[in-house]
Amino acid sequence: CEKGFDGLNVNPTAATALNPLFTFNNAMINTTFPGQTLVFETAIVQQIFTPNSGIVAGANYNIDNRGPTGANTGIWQRYYRDVVRYLVDVIDKTKADANRTNLYNMARIWKAYASMVLTDSYGDIPYSQAGLGFLGANVTPKYDTQESIYNDILKELTEATAALDATKPTEAGDIMYGGNIEKWKKLGNSLLLRAGMRLVKVNPTLAQSTAAKAFAGGVMTANTDNALIRNNPNYQNPVGGTLNSTEAANFYLTRSFVDYLRTNEDPRLASIAARYVGAKSGAEQTAARLNRDPSVQIGMPLGFDNGTIPAQATADKLASFYDYSQVDRTRLARLDAPTFMVTTAQTQLLLAEAAQRGWITGSAADFYAAGITAHMQQLGDADANSAVPAAAITAYLQKHPYVAANGLEQINTQYWVASFLNGPEAFANFRRSDFPKLTPNPYPGKEIKGEFINRISYPDSELSVNAANLREATSRQGPDNLDTRVWWDKP
Amino acid sequence: QDRRVTGTVVSSKDQQPIAGVSVLIKNTTLGTSTDADGKFTISAPANAVLVFSSIGFLGREVPIGNQTVLTVTLEEGSQNLNEVVVTALGIKKEAKRLGYATANVSSEQITTNRTVNFMNALQGKVAGVNISSLGTGAAGTSKIRIRGQSSFSGQNNPLIVVNGVPIDNTNFGQNNGNTGSDGSVGSRDRNYSDGGDGLSSINPDDIEGMTVLKGGTAAALYGSRAKDGVIMITTKTKGSGQGIGVVYNTNFTTDQPMDFTDYQYEYGQGEYGVRPTAPNPTSGVWSFGEKFNGQTQVLFGGVTVPYEPVRDRIKKFYRTGSTWTNSVSVSSGSDRGGFNLSISNTDNKGITPNNTFNRKTANLGFSYNLSPKLTVTGTINYSNEYNKNPPQIAQQDNSTPTVVYTMSNSMPLDVLEANQINPATGNEYIWSRFQNRTNPYFVLSQKFENIRRDRLLGNLTARYNFTDWLYLQGRVGQDFWSRDQDYNFPTGQASLAAAPAGFVNGAYVQEARRFREINADFLIGLNRTFGKFGIDITAGGNQLYRRSDVNSVLVTDFIVRGLYIPQNGRVKDPTYGLNERKVNSLYGAAELSYNEVLFLNVTARNDWFSTLAPGNRSILYPSVTGSFVFSQAFNNLPGWLNFGKVRAAYAQVGSDGDVAPYSNNLFYSVAANLFPNPSGLGQPVGNITSGTVPNATLKPSRTAESEVGLELKLFNSRVGVDLTYYNKTTSDQIVAAQTSDASGYTNTLINSGKSRNRGVELLLTGSPVRTKDFSWDITVNGSYNETKLLRLLSDTIPNEQIVVGNGIYVGDLRHVVGQPLAQLYTFGYQRDAQGRIVHGGDGLPVRTSTPISFGSALPKYVGGITNSFTYKGINLSFLIDFKLGGKMISGTNLNAFRHGLQKETLVGRGEADNKMVGVGVNERGEANAVRAFVQDYYSVGRSKSLGEQVVYDAGFWKLRQISVGYDFTKMLPSNLFIKGIRLSAVANNVAVLKKWVPNIDPEQFGFSSDNLIGLESTGLPITRSIGFNLNVRF
Repeated sequence: CEKGFDGLNVNPTAATALNPLFTFNNAMINTTFPGQTLVFETAIVQQIFTPNSGIVAGANYNIDNRGPTGANTGIWQRYYRDVVRYLVDVIDKTKADANRTNLYNMARIWKAYASMVLTDSYGDIPYSQAGLGFLGANVTPKYDTQESIYNDILKELTEATAALDATKPTEAGDIMYGGNIEKWKKLGNSLLLRAGMRLVKVNPTLAQSTAAKAFAGGVMTANTDNALIRNNPNYQNPVGGTLNSTEAANFYLTRSFVDYLRTNEDPRLASIAARYVGAKSGAEQTAARLNRDPSVQIGMPLGFDNGTIPAQATADKLASFYDYSQVDRTRLARLDAPTFMVTTAQTQLLLAEAAQRGWITGSAADFYAAGITAHMQQLGDADANSAVPAAAITAYLQKHPYVAANGLEQINTQYWVASFLNGPEAFANFRRSDFPKLTPNPYPGKEIKGEFINRISYPDSELSVNAANLREATSRQGPDNLDTRVWWDKP
Repeated sequence: QDRRVTGTVVSSKDQQPIAGVSVLIKNTTLGTSTDADGKFTISAPANAVLVFSSIGFLGREVPIGNQTVLTVTLEEGSQNLNEVVVTALGIKKEAKRLGYATANVSSEQITTNRTVNFMNALQGKVAGVNISSLGTGAAGTSKIRIRGQSSFSGQNNPLIVVNGVPIDNTNFGQNNGNTGSDGSVGSRDRNYSDGGDGLSSINPDDIEGMTVLKGGTAAALYGSRAKDGVIMITTKTKGSGQGIGVVYNTNFTTDQPMDFTDYQYEYGQGEYGVRPTAPNPTSGVWSFGEKFNGQTQVLFGGVTVPYEPVRDRIKKFYRTGSTWTNSVSVSSGSDRGGFNLSISNTDNKGITPNNTFNRKTANLGFSYNLSPKLTVTGTINYSNEYNKNPPQIAQQDNSTPTVVYTMSNSMPLDVLEANQINPATGNEYIWSRFQNRTNPYFVLSQKFENIRRDRLLGNLTARYNFTDWLYLQGRVGQDFWSRDQDYNFPTGQASLAAAPAGFVNGAYVQEARRFREINADFLIGLNRTFGKFGIDITAGGNQLYRRSDVNSVLVTDFIVRGLYIPQNGRVKDPTYGLNERKVNSLYGAAELSYNEVLFLNVTARNDWFSTLAPGNRSILYPSVTGSFVFSQAFNNLPGWLNFGKVRAAYAQVGSDGDVAPYSNNLFYSVAANLFPNPSGLGQPVGNITSGTVPNATLKPSRTAESEVGLELKLFNSRVGVDLTYYNKTTSDQIVAAQTSDASGYTNTLINSGKSRNRGVELLLTGSPVRTKDFSWDITVNGSYNETKLLRLLSDTIPNEQIVVGNGIYVGDLRHVVGQPLAQLYTFGYQRDAQGRIVHGGDGLPVRTSTPISFGSALPKYVGGITNSFTYKGINLSFLIDFKLGGKMISGTNLNAFRHGLQKETLVGRGEADNKMVGVGVNERGEANAVRAFVQDYYSVGRSKSLGEQVVYDAGFWKLRQISVGYDFTKMLPSNLFIKGIRLSAVANNVAVLKKWVPNIDPEQFGFSSDNLIGLESTGLPITRSIGFNLNVRF
């Protein structure tokens, strides 16, 4: 009575196996930052924020914003569901395949990257048991300490980078580097450098040795080495998507960011900022009003909400708050703008710091200049119309020479600018370096006890479905709020 | 040798003829029914016994002897001794033989007070049956629960059987929480209408009768799909009486939206105490502005209008809808058979101004005795439905209910209507900075959805009676439908990102589905008596084959503006899906009777499921029932006891839990678009198709149910009692439990867990007054049901629980071991030992450290009371029904709080700094003194997910139906071509007598989801329908 049932219960419209490169490509595409990073990360570091409440409330009011799809769930849901799950699958499918060793090690490097973004955001997270819902039948993964996660990330990056081998079959279909092993090695070492430098407060010795090892291995030196996702109209940049749809008229450049760029006559202001002069509403933010002239740019001051910002806009002699400067969402933050994850600019600035600390050989000033140059050139890679002229780069570097006495502040303030539109990295580096020196958001009625938000809270869903493991994590790490510091972050 | 017998059937009360009485030759299927004058003609063998039965009368058995003309008098009574009930597989049985509870529904109960989806007309009418219509429009889903919800997920709707063959009742719409079953189908892309269910294609005029088989025993012969009971619908297959009969019925109702909003109209639009004065687009939804005092406000980048309350938003936006049904049937009957042919047309104008629904049906039923031994019966039902623009619900984008219920209290609707489209851009005029709160008038004019369904269902049965005690029956039935749906996401809608250069934004989906279910079965029946003993054996087999497939194409961005067709799209994403399943079954039943007072019935069934793991596919399950008609067994019983029966039953039912085919494996697919590598060469992007962890070892779930019951007729049958206690456990349930995202998956298919439903059903009928001119009948039905979760994955984890879904804004629904099913969880207020609310340093309430339970969303008490009065042919009846004991978390009220519409949000307003001090203590236990913005204070439901603010009792008492009718028949001259006229005035959803949730009707749920209950998000207002029904017989 069950004749033919085996055949009947095989899905005729889907595959039971797929080239793991295709799922690897998907994992990388999905690593682009979710729109929710505008609510916390970019607002905590005071680059882009909104005066509005509701679903976009967060760092603008220094309050948490939870719920099934709250802003705190953005990275968590996207990375675990759509990145880690695929990478775990790719690693499983390639680990025993002698012809796919390069793919295997590329996936390990990318998993180290994604895991770093996750742990830097939340602290202790499921890591060793993550993504094993199917392969390990584990749907309630335990939380690992951030220390153990970093130790493993360092090991994975070291091993995987070393194991990449251009003489073995390479993966031309890889959407990041087209299977270029040399670039993957540079990415691996640059990530190792980033991971090492993350530990300056908590374990300077390990930070030093790791940075030195990464530098010796060869890191990114040109913008063609950058790790980025070249989004397109079919695979859109989620941050660009948010800034061009429902929240188009809701997010503005902060006054601190605009003022920093303007007072330093930074040529990047013209690439980054756009103001719809005289706009009295979102609908009036039309192309005809668009003005990119750095001299007219005015950032929105922090500390206001939707009720109080109109008066401030009037005081600032603006038509309305829709008249403040925004990130140019027709260029750098357009719908299909590329997402930069790991860049030469960031890497060179980290080298500058390592050199400043005497951990590697080389001139901190040279690395510093190389980092700034790379970022200014990178803006042109993001959108040709945003390119900074070579002469302007030279002029800026001449006007702002490296001063060793202020080295760490200079480097990390530049890192802040260089990580614009990469909220998670700007937020992480701000915490580990304590630069730039930002004035705390003065909004009345904050929920945090300290001056800045120190981490992102876990999604409420974990309390519902993984409570025992979550409680173990919060009991050792500290309460699940915005104040608790992650392991590598010391006051 | 057969001979011709004619006769008349009359009522004992008034000696008036009774039409439509079934006249059967005992132990055969041969028979006829009486015509409008109560007359019948039948050919019968000399020693035959005729069985007379009719709803509302006690049945009788009359031996013909040597008579050729009979006059048969029937006593009134609501559940008669020899009443014939249609049981599983369409087998007709006398009610007294049954060891389990059933309920009959007459066609009048469905057709007089009718609803577009006819099931909704039965709300509150059947003990133990909980029917909910939703706030999703007239053609929306009807949710039916018999004896409560038994499964954690999957489908809990009963099996619908038409003329002995199951039909598909797939529920279309946004089914959050429905997990992967092919029994429920959600929309593909950002479309949140309720596409209705399978029941809505049935024309209530074609229904001859309906039987609800409530318990597992009744359903044992339907197997897996009957674990939640069976609703057996019999459509007409022949006319009553001789000759050609024509019946015309027309029913017209107007449907008015009921407005329960009780908002504050003291402070108007604005935020943090400031009204919109600058020409900015305002929030549109916040009512935390200034006190109304004759000011003006500025809207839409420049329009200045008075700053004043806008009341009656529901009536201003929605219209009065209407439903008009016309049907004509032609039938003929004789003792050799007959036919019934009917056509009908239903036109519904929804309360949403662009929503209409049309249904046309044609139904042909026939039965014919080819020879005294061979009978052929068949039915064909065809329906054509067109649902145009069903409203978007339980969502923000394009949802008119969400916007109408949440917009600011000083937002003039005429300004919204006049400014839908910005003339400068041709796009939606941005009226709110919440851009996915689409201007509802823009939705009406720009968003469309068309759902067209053609459905053909029918079956053919042949039965051969070898002798009067042995027959063989073969039957094949098919339910086939095709459904075409298309809808858009309008170009220019404010929430959409701009398209790449050269294109305009928007999206369009076109979908074509086909569904086919074939059931083929055979049955052998043997029926013998040996002295006082009788034996009735049935054995048979069934094969179910179901295939559904779907072609769908989603396109995003367009080349030509306003042309919504696939080839005009920039990105095209076509998909194809296919589901196939089979269930093979063998079964048998044996009934032993003694002296027609003691009955014992045993059944056994084996199912084989294609969707389950090899080795686990087969399940055998039994049932045993008994009944004892003690009133007929003893002679010395008091005279006031007319009828008494006790019954007991035990049954098991196995099920594949409606798990979707292919749930056993992980599958991959390739995305519609390639992604270029650095050299610009497009590369495939691979997906894992499902977020649910598959399970390769699925085994059947098993429901075991026992019930005992008592039926009594007392005092000349003027009082009737039918009492049932049941206890039902369902184990090895297949459920998709929510998982930690860190597992990479959102759900996992578990095949464990046990729940128990226990309850009591009571049906009381009484006729307090019965005189020649006036009678008063009262029917009370009520049920108590409690569903408790006994076990999940392990026996060791305390308070083990699974999460089955989330509300849109706040709250989740869980099943927790040891607790009633469907616990609503959300964060509560943190309170000190004295119960005072703790406030944080920000002056806002502090939430509990974890979400806490606020009780079960399932109602415990469901029932209704019908009173009918008859005075000289005028009939008045009204129904009051209730559902009590469940909780809800109200999303509509959450918005009303955070938007400042609730009256409660007036507390604390009016201070110069727009701040207030919340009543309670701070974290050190001192009185809270921290001032917080009023707006922030009332927004904690959203900003902190502090859902306790909007937990309500979901219960209600409603005056559900009223009808007043008069039968003009006896005023007609007897030689007129019109044989009968009956006119009724009807009203549905007349009034809510008591409810606990403010601003909405407690049944106004936006989700059509099968399981995600108690998490309310804004649905369409419930309508009050008033109209008439006219029935003319020719």
